[in-house]
Amino acid sequence: MAGSALKRLMAEYKQLTLNPPEGIIAGPVDEENFFEWEALIMGPQDTCFEGGVFPARLTFPSDYPLSPPKMKFTCEIFHPNIYADGRVCISILHAPGDDPMGYETSAERWSPVQSVEKILLSVVSMLSEPNDESAANVDAAKTWRDDRKGFEEIARVTVRKSLGL
Amino acid sequence: MRSLVLTGLSFMLTASVIGNAYYQKKQFYPSVVYITKSNPSMAVMYVQALVFVVLMGKMLRALFFGQLRAAEMEHLIERSWYAVTETCLAFTVFRDDFSPRFVALFTLLLFLKCFHWLAEDRIDYMERSPAISWKFHFRALSLMFVLGLLDILFVRHAFYSTMSKGPSVQLVFGFEYEILLTVVVMTFIKYLLHAIDLQSQNPWDNKAVYLLYSELAMGFIRVILYVAFVFIMIKVHTFPLFAIRPMYLTVRAFQKAAQDVILSRRAIRNMNTLYPDATPEELSSGDNVCIICREEMTSGCKKLPCGHIFHTSCLRSWFQRQQTCPTCRLEVLRMPRPQQQQQQQQQQPQQQQAAQPQQAPNQNGQAGVEQMQNPFQNMPGMFGGMPFQWNGAGAAVPPPPPYMWQPPPQQQQQPQQQTPGAAGQAPTPASSSSSSPTSAAATPTTSQQANTQTGGTASAASTSMPSTQMPPFPGFPPFLPGMMPPVFSYAGFPSPPPSMAGLSDEELRVMEGVERSNIEARIQWLRDIQALLDGAMVLINQYNSVASQINSRHDGTSAPQVVPISTSPSSPHQQQQQASSSTTQVNWWPAGSGARPKYSSTISSTHVTNSSKERSGSLSSPSEKHESSDNVEKEETKGATGSSPKEAEIPKWSDPREEEHTDEMHEVRKRRLQHFSQHHLDSNSSNLDSSNSDKNNSESEEKH
Repeated sequence: MAGSALKRLMAEYKQLTLNPPEGIIAGPVDEENFFEWEALIMGPQDTCFEGGVFPARLTFPSDYPLSPPKMKFTCEIFHPNIYADGRVCISILHAPGDDPMGYETSAERWSPVQSVEKILLSVVSMLSEPNDESAANVDAAKTWRDDRKGFEEIARVTVRKSLGL
Repeated sequence: MRSLVLTGLSFMLTASVIGNAYYQKKQFYPSVVYITKSNPSMAVMYVQALVFVVLMGKMLRALFFGQLRAAEMEHLIERSWYAVTETCLAFTVFRDDFSPRFVALFTLLLFLKCFHWLAEDRIDYMERSPAISWKFHFRALSLMFVLGLLDILFVRHAFYSTMSKGPSVQLVFGFEYEILLTVVVMTFIKYLLHAIDLQSQNPWDNKAVYLLYSELAMGFIRVILYVAFVFIMIKVHTFPLFAIRPMYLTVRAFQKAAQDVILSRRAIRNMNTLYPDATPEELSSGDNVCIICREEMTSGCKKLPCGHIFHTSCLRSWFQRQQTCPTCRLEVLRMPRPQQQQQQQQQQPQQQQAAQPQQAPNQNGQAGVEQMQNPFQNMPGMFGGMPFQWNGAGAAVPPPPPYMWQPPPQQQQQPQQQTPGAAGQAPTPASSSSSSPTSAAATPTTSQQANTQTGGTASAASTSMPSTQMPPFPGFPPFLPGMMPPVFSYAGFPSPPPSMAGLSDEELRVMEGVERSNIEARIQWLRDIQALLDGAMVLINQYNSVASQINSRHDGTSAPQVVPISTSPSSPHQQQQQASSSTTQVNWWPAGSGARPKYSSTISSTHVTNSSKERSGSLSSPSEKHESSDNVEKEETKGATGSSPKEAEIPKWSDPREEEHTDEMHEVRKRRLQHFSQHHLDSNSSNLDSSNSDKNNSESEEKH
C-alpha cells in the first residue's frame, strides 16, 4: 500500500492522458516520482498570451488530495497573479487554513474536489483574466491596470521567449 | 562546480599557510604557534574548518540520504537561513563567552539540525514513494539512531556542565538538543506508522489519528520546553531573542494540533454516529466515485447531511484537516442539531415528508378548532352538525391516513410546541398558519381552496357531505347508513345552510374576477349570515340537545375513527386535552382533528379541481343549491373539464370553518369571525350592507 495520494495521482494522470483538456499537457516528471509533475500550458486564445507554451512544475504534498499542490512556472512570465519567481497565486491552491493575501473566503480554497485538471484550467483562465485585486506580482498588476499596451507587449515578449524565439 | 573551486581554493590556501609557517619555523611546534598567532593564517584555518564541516556533511548526506531531492534541498536552505540568523542572535546574548569553541559548538548544532530536518523530510517522503527499499529503511533507522544518540549525549553533557559549572551557554545547547530529540522521536513515530502502513495492503485508517495525537503530544512537550527555557533564560541571562520565532511557531503548531484534534474528533464522532451509511442503492445510482480518492465506492461509505457520499476513511482524513463537506463546503460542525434532524430525514424520508405536511394542517386544524370554539360557545347548535359530519367522514373514508406516523422524539415535541402558538393565533383570525398557498389577492381561490380542502378530507364521503347539509332534502339516497346516522337525526331540523355546497361554488365564481367584487360578495354573505343567525339562535336549544345525542353516538360509532386520529401529528396528549375541554360543548373535536391531516394529502388534487371549476365558469349554479347530492355530483362533473367526478365534487362541499380560517387574511373574514365570536352581528353587518344583495340567502348558508 503506497498511500492514497499516490493512487489518486495515478488516477488523475490516467484521466489526463485519456481525456486531455484542450491546451494542457501534464504528467509526472518521471514515473518513479508521482509527486512532481510537469505541465505545459498553452496561452489562451484572444489574449496577449496567445500562442505561448508555458512550462510549469507541480509539486504535490504527501497528503495530496487533502492539501493543495504547489505550482510554479519554470519559464519567465509576467502576470499579476504569478510571483516573479514563477509561483502561481490562485485561491484554489491555498489550503483553507492559510490566507496569504487575506482576502479569500474559504469557499474558494483548496478542497479534495479540485484536481490537477481543474487547477490547470483555473490557471488558463487566470492567464486570460488577471485578478489585479490580489496581486502576487505588483509590478505586473500595476502595468496591467495602468498600461495595458505595455503589459501586452511584455506578454508577447514572454510568449516569444516561451517558444524559444 | 563553484563549490568544488572554493573547496580547492580553501585547500590551496591552507596548504600555503601551513607550508609558509613550516618554511619559516622549520619545526612543528613553532610553526603551530606562528599560525595561531597570525590572524590571516587563523582565518584561513577557520575557513578550512568550515570547508571540512561542509565536506563531512556532504559525506554523511551521501551516506544516509544518497541524493537529496529538490524539495528537500529547498527546505533545507530555507530553514538554514532562519537557523543562521537565530544563531547570530544567540551570539549577541552570549557575546561574553564568545570563543572559537563556542562558534564550533553552534556550527555543530546547526549541522545536526540540518540532519534532523533532512530526516524529517525523508520520512515524510516515505508516504509518497511508491516503493521503499531495504536500503531506505536501513539508512533511516541508522540515521535516527545516530541523531538520537548524539542528542542524548549533548543533552547529558549540557546538563552536567550546567550542574557543575553553573548556568552558561550550555543551557542553550541543552534545550536545543532536547528540542532536536523531540524531533527525532517524532520522526521515529512517523517512521513506525508509515512502515506499518506500508506492510498492509489497505490504507490504514487510524494512522492519521495516531499521527495527530503524537503530534499533539510532541507539540505539548515542545511548548513546555520552550516556556521553561525562556523562563530560565530570563532569570539567568536576558530575554532569549533568538528563541522567539521557534517558540512562536511551536506554540502555534501546538494550538493547531489541539484544535485539529478537538474538531476532527467531533467531526469524526458525528460521522460515525450521526451520518448514515450510504445504502447500496445510493452507491449504485449515478456517479459513485469518491471525490477524495477518485476511486469507486463499494462499501464503507458515509453520507453527509448535504447528501454527498464519500469513503469513510477518506472523509475521516479530510475531517482531520477541515470540518467541511469537500464538495459543497457545508460546515458539518456548525449544525450539530440540524444535522441530527437531517439525518433523521434521510433515514426516514417518508416519515418526514408525511410529518411536514401534517404539521401545517395540524396548525390549521388547531387554529380552526380554536376559531370555531368561539362561535360555538355562542351557538353550538349552529355548527353542531358540521364537525360531526366530519367525524362521519373520517369514519367513512375507508383507508386510514396512509402514513402511520410515529413521531420521532424531537418531532413529537414540535407539534406540541406549535400548538400553543396556533392556539394563540387562533382567536385573531389572521393566523399565518392557515394562510392558504394562494396569495391574498386571489381570495376567491383561497376560499375555494378552503372549501375544497375540507371537501378533500371527506374524500369518498364528501359526496354525501353536501347533502347532509341540506335538511330540506331528507332523501339522501347515496348515504351509507353507517356513516350518516347523525344526518338523519338532523334532517328534521329546519336549520342551517340548506345549499352550502352549491352556493360556495357559485359564489366563488362570482368572486373570481376582481378583488373588490370578491369583497362585495363576501359582504353580502355577511348580511345573509346575520339574518340567518337570527333564525338560527332560535334553534340553538334544539341543537344543543341534538349535540348531546351526537356525542353519545359518536362515542359509540367513532371507535374505529380514533385510530387515524392517533396517527395525526397532533400528539395524543393534545387530542385528549381537546377532547376533554370540548366535552362540555361539543365532543367532536378529536374526530375533526383526526380527519384533518387528510387535507394536506388532498390539497393538490383539490387545487386542480379549483382551477377546473373556475374555468368551467358555470355561474348559474343557484339551482344547484337545492339539488340533492346526486345532482350536485353530476353538475360538478359537467363543470370540471378534465378532473374526475370525484375530484370535482370535492370543492362543492364547502366547509365554513375551513373557509373561515383560510380566508382569515381577508378583512371581511376577520370581521365575520369577530362578529361570530362577539355576537355583534348587527353592527358588523350594517357596515357591510352597502353592497348589493342578490343571493344573500344562499351565501349565508354556505358560510355556515
